[in-house]
Amino acid sequence: MRSVVLFGSFYALLALPHALAVKSQDFKTCSQSGFCRRGRALAARAQEAQSSWKSPYTVDPSSIVISPEDSTVKAAVKSSLYPEIKFGLELRIHDDGVVRVLLDEVDGLKKRYDEAASWALVSEPKLSKGIRWAAGKKELRAVFGEKNDIEVAVDYDPLRVRLRRGGEDQIVLNGRGLLHMEHFRSQTLKETIEEVASDENAEGQEVLQVENVRAWFEGDSEDAYWEEKFSSWTDSKPKGPESLSLDITFPNHGTVYGIPQHATNLSLPSTTGDSPSYTDPFRLYNADVFEYLASSPMSLYGSIPVMHAHSADTTVGVFNAVGSETWIDISYPTKKSTHTHWISESGIMDVFLLPGPTPEEVFAQYARLTGTTALPAHWSLGYHQCRWNYVSSDDVRTVQRRFDEEDMPVDVFWLDIEYAQDHKYFIWDHKTFPDPVEMTNDVAAAGRKMVVIVDPHLKRTSDYPVYQEASDLDILVKPKSGEGEYEGWCWTGSSSWIDHFNPASWDWWISKFKTTKNDTGFSWTESTEDIHIWNDMNEPSIFNGPEITMPKDSIHHGGWEHRDVHNINGMLFHNNTAQAVRLRSDIPKRPFVLTRSFFAGSQRVGAMWTGDNLGTWDHMAVGVKMVLANGIAGMAFAGSDVGGFFGNPEPEMLVRWYQVGIFSPFFRAHAHIDTKRREPFLLDEPYKSIVRDILRLRYAMLPIWYTAFRENSVTGMPIVRPHYVVFPQDTAGFAIDDQFFVGSSGILVKPVTEKDKTEATVYIAEDQVYYDYFTQYAYRGSSKGKHITVAAELHQVPVLIRGGSIIPTRERPRRSSPLMKLDPFTLRVALSKTGTARGDLYLDDGVTYSHQQGDFVWREFVAEQSHKKTTRISSKDLASHNPGKAVDGIALTTFDPKNAFAKEIEEVRVEKIVVLGLNSKPRSVNVEGGAELKWEFVPGVAASDKKEGVSSVLIIKDPKVLITTDWAIVIS
Amino acid sequence: MLWLLLLPLPLPALGVVEKTLGIAPYLVSKYVPSRSNTWTCLDGSQEIPWDYVNDDSCDCADGSDEPGTGACPNQSFYCQNEGHIGSFIPSSRVRDGLCEPNCCDGSDERPGVCNNVCQEVGQAYKTKVEEETKIRKTGSKIRSTYIAYAHKEKKRLEEVIETSTAQITAQEKEVARLRDIAERAESLSAAALEMKQQSPLYTSLITHSNALKSLQREHRKHLQREKELSNILDALRTGYNPNYQDMAVLEAVRGWEEIAGLPHINDVGKDSVSDEEAGVEEDTVSDVAQSKEEVDDEMWSAEELENDLDDLLNSDYISLLLEHDEYVQSPPEGSVLFDIASYLPDSVVPQYEEFKETILSLLVSFGIIKSETSSSTDTSRSRQVLTDAENELNKVKKDKENAENDLKEIFNIHGYGLEGEWKKLDGTCLRTENGDYTYEVCLFGEAKQIPNKGGSTFSLGKFASWNPSPDVKPGEEAYYQKQIYNRGTRCWNGPERNVVLLLSCGTENTLNSVVELEKCEYQFTGTTPALCRPLDSFEGRNGKKSNAGKDEL
Repeated sequence: MRSVVLFGSFYALLALPHALAVKSQDFKTCSQSGFCRRGRALAARAQEAQSSWKSPYTVDPSSIVISPEDSTVKAAVKSSLYPEIKFGLELRIHDDGVVRVLLDEVDGLKKRYDEAASWALVSEPKLSKGIRWAAGKKELRAVFGEKNDIEVAVDYDPLRVRLRRGGEDQIVLNGRGLLHMEHFRSQTLKETIEEVASDENAEGQEVLQVENVRAWFEGDSEDAYWEEKFSSWTDSKPKGPESLSLDITFPNHGTVYGIPQHATNLSLPSTTGDSPSYTDPFRLYNADVFEYLASSPMSLYGSIPVMHAHSADTTVGVFNAVGSETWIDISYPTKKSTHTHWISESGIMDVFLLPGPTPEEVFAQYARLTGTTALPAHWSLGYHQCRWNYVSSDDVRTVQRRFDEEDMPVDVFWLDIEYAQDHKYFIWDHKTFPDPVEMTNDVAAAGRKMVVIVDPHLKRTSDYPVYQEASDLDILVKPKSGEGEYEGWCWTGSSSWIDHFNPASWDWWISKFKTTKNDTGFSWTESTEDIHIWNDMNEPSIFNGPEITMPKDSIHHGGWEHRDVHNINGMLFHNNTAQAVRLRSDIPKRPFVLTRSFFAGSQRVGAMWTGDNLGTWDHMAVGVKMVLANGIAGMAFAGSDVGGFFGNPEPEMLVRWYQVGIFSPFFRAHAHIDTKRREPFLLDEPYKSIVRDILRLRYAMLPIWYTAFRENSVTGMPIVRPHYVVFPQDTAGFAIDDQFFVGSSGILVKPVTEKDKTEATVYIAEDQVYYDYFTQYAYRGSSKGKHITVAAELHQVPVLIRGGSIIPTRERPRRSSPLMKLDPFTLRVALSKTGTARGDLYLDDGVTYSHQQGDFVWREFVAEQSHKKTTRISSKDLASHNPGKAVDGIALTTFDPKNAFAKEIEEVRVEKIVVLGLNSKPRSVNVEGGAELKWEFVPGVAASDKKEGVSSVLIIKDPKVLITTDWAIVIS
Repeated sequence: MLWLLLLPLPLPALGVVEKTLGIAPYLVSKYVPSRSNTWTCLDGSQEIPWDYVNDDSCDCADGSDEPGTGACPNQSFYCQNEGHIGSFIPSSRVRDGLCEPNCCDGSDERPGVCNNVCQEVGQAYKTKVEEETKIRKTGSKIRSTYIAYAHKEKKRLEEVIETSTAQITAQEKEVARLRDIAERAESLSAAALEMKQQSPLYTSLITHSNALKSLQREHRKHLQREKELSNILDALRTGYNPNYQDMAVLEAVRGWEEIAGLPHINDVGKDSVSDEEAGVEEDTVSDVAQSKEEVDDEMWSAEELENDLDDLLNSDYISLLLEHDEYVQSPPEGSVLFDIASYLPDSVVPQYEEFKETILSLLVSFGIIKSETSSSTDTSRSRQVLTDAENELNKVKKDKENAENDLKEIFNIHGYGLEGEWKKLDGTCLRTENGDYTYEVCLFGEAKQIPNKGGSTFSLGKFASWNPSPDVKPGEEAYYQKQIYNRGTRCWNGPERNVVLLLSCGTENTLNSVVELEKCEYQFTGTTPALCRPLDSFEGRNGKKSNAGKDEL
């Protein structure tokens, strides 16, 4: 044993120095980014000027045009700095109360990028009808909302937009006067002025005065207007300065969440103001950050510019639809207010104000804008086993065999880049994968799938048909000249990138994934419908590019620079791949495509993961926070690599990481090519058995997860919910980001992410009973909030059931999730203090879109005290009452509880009901209108007691009631 | 005897299974109801109604009430497989909708899901077993020749030991005699020699020699270091991840290319370079080396330094010293006395020598001539002869020792096996081609990775042990199914290369596959007749099979 221990620590030593090395010099800080520097300098000048600071932007009241039929208003805006430049302001009120604020330069020298929202939005939002805008002397205003308590006001001088509720400011745009839309100008003109200026300098009062007029606001120098150098790269900036600075203030909200992806706390730390947590602003610029830090405002792989501001009174949100690089400063001038400052490199101002007023409504409002997570294939909620790389088809088969020998469930085996000959994606390396179709079929024989990587960089060789066709079709991203093909360096060596902004690429890309022969070009005949896809490196990651990505002056379809669309780029590749996988079969099947890069709207496409994390406790912990933050921003189908991508985690860490993993919406283990193999079957005892039980717990709980995904797909409510979402008024819980609820199930999880722990502290926010999932120990919370201590030995992950929940599980271990289709259910009825409980269960075929035709089962379980001393547990259909809200994507008008899917599972029954917290031993338990059931009662603490201790447990043996039909069981 | 349990609710096919379904034959007798129609869980923990057995609902803590339904986790389900061989499957596979290959009678699934294919499966199994048996038979015949070889080898080694023992005795006598002569000669001249050794020339020579030796040692160290460094840099150059644009790595690569005269690797397609570059590399390196070697004629070339310096340094300086004296003193002004022997007939020489010694000692004692000049050649020659004889003795001793060691290993459970069946394969090299490399393992020797298109060969490790798993006992078949080769060339930024060689019975010694499952960890598979035990000594094989598989990855 000793030698094993030594060996382990040897590896740890090896890994550590290497592991703590983010290449921060590869990425810009704000001070290295011209427009961010300008934006921060502007804020600094404003700070200095204090109350004498006044925004130069004003509304021209005479220009206001109101169209009452669609609740829209337009007005001209001017800046006193450049009176000759015209800006146009437009406000639209959506039918759900969301206010869209647009500002653009009118008749400028060039056009600002205005398509970010069109990629992000799920559809053109419905405008409210008949809301009256009233133009006053100093302001424009409109009052709306069910209670007429929401008001949006536009102040003319200076320009300011305020969203108010109940007379209180909720969101204020340009309240601090930092709004600045740099207009397009011509470089030569500017130079001339400078020359003139210097010529006349000798005499010079007048010219100097002209310059000073703007300097108070814009500063003295033209800082990085026309060119910007970083390391060995030069950004040519042919359009000159076009950045947008905008301050957004939440005068009555002291906590903000969102703007993923950053490795940081859920409740966003400050970046400016008094002793800020970080010195740089949060940055949104999709980037492949090698060995990223576990706490940093640096950019990561994806960007969702949505922020929630929260207080005990209300929750509001802001969605800033911008696709260019964006920096966000956050400060908290008081405990109850928040200043934010958004600095974007290009694009129009297109900001959506989400009025809330609850977290739930903010989620719904954002979901109506950008869509919800598409209901995933059911199998994709199982366990994913990945490694860079399973080296051959025999390797894949061996790994599968070992899982089966150890009776560990797994649904998906993954192949990283080494399957492809010379990294030419789709093209199998036949030396190691001579029989890819047979291999996939062997995996599929146990109900499993494969996920194979297809990255966006195409190897530039004519013998690679995918590249050659794209080149012939002229659908590749172009270099700054606008001619030819942009060439960069990636896994494939010299590579080019498909321009997915070009509609001509869409159908072509879709055709590549057909598993049958394609008359017009390459199609992936060496694949089957059991292969799904992994899109990595789609930031895009370019090894020899500035900040490991594409030069900003590269040219996309429509002549737009990469700078304008950078953060959207990854989403389009992801989306088109998912469409391709969906459409490759005659009956469309739900695609599974994992992405690393994402943007607002990516949730409609598929899952993401938090990229190349490190095998450290820090990264394990921050992974939980990152998944929560992504959920806040709509990207609910998220997870972190179990085990950490880099490094060799010791068994304890690996076990804890699996415990984290099973409570992530997306659950995948992955490892770098330099790491030791660490598949769970390789663990020694007791770790192996512990991980087997952990995996089985995930599978037992799949009904909970799938039900949560249904809810998210309809409402936008996160799958994993941080504390504040469930208890929005509990100020003590606003910053909690290390424990969370799973959907609406009532399952509360506090994963252990530290070494050598034997117990964990869980915060309970309400006066309610919470039961330990495994020991049935009943804990008591308090309305003032209370910390309880629960056992957390290595084999124990702290999981509590909130009193008042009914948890449906499937407890029979299987090799893979599709094999559970006909397995019976267990119901855990965790009674609340008042003796009630409820839960729901959603099931469908998990593969096709037949649920959109009404082929699904959606049940509600309710436990209530029908008379004194009688508890009645019943099951009823939820869809018939609510067909329109049952599934995403279609508003059903009717629902047939005996639909085709329900028939397929009509024999599926409840095999066991466990009731926690009954007051006393029942006299009888029977199916309503039926015979007495077999049951067993173990006395213990009742839900209504004040005591803590193991709760009373009633186990009803095999009531044989069916999942698809209504029934009731009466406990007297 | 069919026991159909009728359920109170009209549920089609639900939980309706035979009471005996899935029960292992040796347990069938335990599955009978008590008189009161109850049944006790196998662990004795609970008494349950007989109805609860195989009712698709788990009641016993040990899961024993559901042998046929999969309702209890971690159980085994027994398939009768009539017409074939009965077998167990895990309960997780019962009623999961898939027909288990091990359950050819289809009893693991709901009725009507799986056909009974035991006929075909049984037939296929028989054929397969026959084939395996055939291989094993042939293999075991070959194996028996290996065993015979080991016995022959044992005999040969015993003979070697016997003859060398005799030789040693004889040689020891001879050495003793020669030592006697040498010592006599030396005792006479020791004092003289000591005197000579103080000559400035000699001391300087020794100092030079020591210095040269030290220089050589340091030089070799540096050469070795340079080689390692260049390996590291080559690996860095061809293998570095252009990802992340690590400027430090890039500079290192560029710098190395400069020094080694290699082309810039990113200037051309990376893959095409690696094909050619090995050749390019060597040519350029030697070009560079040669251009630097154009030096003074008198100076040694690198090749001479490499090949000839050892000989030079191994010179017998004493002999040289004495020969030097002779050279300096004779023949021009050499005394007739010293060389007179050469003019004498052989028969007179001994008497003459005796006479000469007497005269000389007289002369010396009178101070007429200096004694240092006396008999120096004789001394060094007798010393040389003694050294040769001693070397010969040591060689024979070594041979004997080797033979004794080999003899110990031949029938050693940890060595060539109890029956010595592996002895024959000592040093047998197996090869296979895999992609751009040929992999070779010389059994009990070294494993190597040899590039097919030129470039350096890496050691993947030297033989270290048989299966080291604590679950496997030496002598078992599983013990010999795995060989470990370790401490190969260290990987760049990684561990030393290692090989796990998995062997199975086959009629030939072959290497079938090579995979690098993780960086620098290779898994070879191969076959050998040495593992084909005769059919009647199969005991324990099936039982150990699962163990053998455990450590595969």
